[in-house]
Amino acid sequence: MHMKIACVIPAWNEAPAFDKSHLPGVVEALTSCIDLIIIVDDGSTDETYETALRLSADVLRHPVNRGQGAALATGTEYALEQGAEIIIHFDADGQFRVQDIERVIKPLREKQADMVFGSRFLDDTTTMPKFKRTVIMPLARFVNKIFFGITLTDPQSGFRAFNRLAAEMVKWKQDQMGHCSEILIEAHRHPLRIQEVPITVVYHHFGQRLSGGFKIIRDFILAKLNS
Amino acid sequence: MLQEILALILIFFFLGRIGWQVWHEQIPRGQFIFWLIFWLLAGIAIIFIKDIDALVARLGFSGSGIQILLYLSVALIFYFILRLRLKIERLERDLTIVVRAAAMLAARKRQ
Repeated sequence: MHMKIACVIPAWNEAPAFDKSHLPGVVEALTSCIDLIIIVDDGSTDETYETALRLSADVLRHPVNRGQGAALATGTEYALEQGAEIIIHFDADGQFRVQDIERVIKPLREKQADMVFGSRFLDDTTTMPKFKRTVIMPLARFVNKIFFGITLTDPQSGFRAFNRLAAEMVKWKQDQMGHCSEILIEAHRHPLRIQEVPITVVYHHFGQRLSGGFKIIRDFILAKLNS
Repeated sequence: MLQEILALILIFFFLGRIGWQVWHEQIPRGQFIFWLIFWLLAGIAIIFIKDIDALVARLGFSGSGIQILLYLSVALIFYFILRLRLKIERLERDLTIVVRAAAMLAARKRQ
């Protein structure tokens, strides 16, 4: 039986990426395996929105920038509204590979999992700075294990897929970069079957710095005090 | 003595400012009451600074009364900063809800 698959792509000021054909290329490649591509323009101040409208995707627009976590939540809500049965979180700048999608959604299709996380650490195909690989990531893994009982190999995976049940259950409030950790924690808080599969990430720039990690911790503390 | 007089003049000035602001409806009554109590307490502390010195010494602190008041003020300021941060956090969250609703509405309209 065919399952409707949606892919959510948050985009913020991706016009430079358009020039290098990242997003149009990603969308074009996705159309072969995805039923519904959702681009969430997160309050871009460049031509991202106008350019996205020309692609074969549903385009949502945040009037002001709210962060990647917020954009993903908006896209996920829209995907659920459109009747998606599998929802994938993807990247606008071509860091994730379209060919990994099949691997990520396979356990969902075969009903062996409710949520699947892509991991950069299950094989050696992803290259990242030594400090990040040997210090930051093991530290994040340790925190996840000690405080939340999470044993997944990738503590900051942005490539993930939900079945409908998981997408309805897992809700995150972190609008900025803390959403990666929060989604992991929320997923483990619910009785969901979780799997991890190897993926390759092709970096154009190396994401967050150590200060970003501290910012995530600060956001978590503020959210906890506010809850 | 001169320092105490200067501090009291300053407090009278701030009291006058908040009185003027509430008169011209620039701050809500609740905020006026809060600042009124705050500055009155500061004024009382200055008038009775010698008694506070004695109390602080009796409690076993090595610093003078004014030093203890200063430490308490710093702690209070940190507390208010935290309260502000929490309020901003709540506003940010509410803003995201509004932004999301607007985005969803626009998408539905386009369909």
